Amino acid sequence: MKYLIVCLSALTLIGCANIQKKDMSAFNAAAPRSILVVPVVNKTLDVDAPVYVLTTLPIPLANKGYYVFPVNTTKYILEQEGLYEGDRILTMPVPTLAKMFGADAILYVTIKRWDAQYAFIATTVTVEFDYKMVAADGTVIWEENKKMAYSPQNSGGGGLGGLIAAAISAAITRAAPNYMPLAESAHQQVFLMGPNQLPDGPYNTPVK
Amino acid sequence: MTAITGLTLLLLTGCAQNKYNWNGYDKGLYDAYKDPNQVVALQIKLQETVDALEKEKQVVPPGLYAELGTLYLQEGDVEKAKKYYAKERDAWPESKTLMDTLIKNLDSRKKVLEKSKT
Repeated sequence: MKYLIVCLSALTLIGCANIQKKDMSAFNAAAPRSILVVPVVNKTLDVDAPVYVLTTLPIPLANKGYYVFPVNTTKYILEQEGLYEGDRILTMPVPTLAKMFGADAILYVTIKRWDAQYAFIATTVTVEFDYKMVAADGTVIWEENKKMAYSPQNSGGGGLGGLIAAAISAAITRAAPNYMPLAESAHQQVFLMGPNQLPDGPYNTPVK
Repeated sequence: MTAITGLTLLLLTGCAQNKYNWNGYDKGLYDAYKDPNQVVALQIKLQETVDALEKEKQVVPPGLYAELGTLYLQEGDVEKAKKYYAKERDAWPESKTLMDTLIKNLDSRKKVLEKSKT
């Protein structure tokens, strides 16, 4: 855990102290109040990853001040319409989808990586996401990509103690690689911290 | 090392404070996806959360009422589903279109069912 925190701190520092800013004019013109998070597109072999990732998306977006449509209810409604997979939902015209839910913006997330690479001593867990937000008329208003990797061996101390610690850590990771903290950090960084972070939503605007 | 860790915690909390009290909604939903037997636990947890927040006059986070409504719907309790969809709509105006549609559909479905019985 300590290693993860140190690992993250480096990333966080970069995230918070950036210089490059992307053009937000399309986003600001759309000025969405509400975001519909649709079931996630999966480009990996892990069939469970999309629903797990779905659970990590509403809280950071709501923290940013947006109304976030209930993700499980959204998933249920789309399933009633025969839409089970993220890639099927991707083919639906944006205006149709936006109108159906009364949403100002739709967030599409694609999982590009969700894997654990096993080595003798340590295991590297990697997640990577593409994020695309569109306005109700289909205009892309925000895009990001984030890859996060966690390898306990990176920050390992030397000597036999270090080796044993790494071996234990690898064994734990091998038994049940924990992707969730990585996924959560990735979202936090792109939504709340990065150079291209989302502007504050209506619920974060101070009341006059 | 300790300094870096401390700094991180500061940064993380500074940058990413929780605006609402979610009471483990994300974790509960994760557990329910992982093991469908945990759906009941999620429902109980959400019910407790909204009851407690209402009692303390705190804001119920966006979507929680509706998620609870959908869980009731999935177990066939249409009245409770409608009740929580209405609460979502009244708490969050952005959800009005969707919540009104869901409530209307449940009402018309009920009418069809009643007609088919007679």
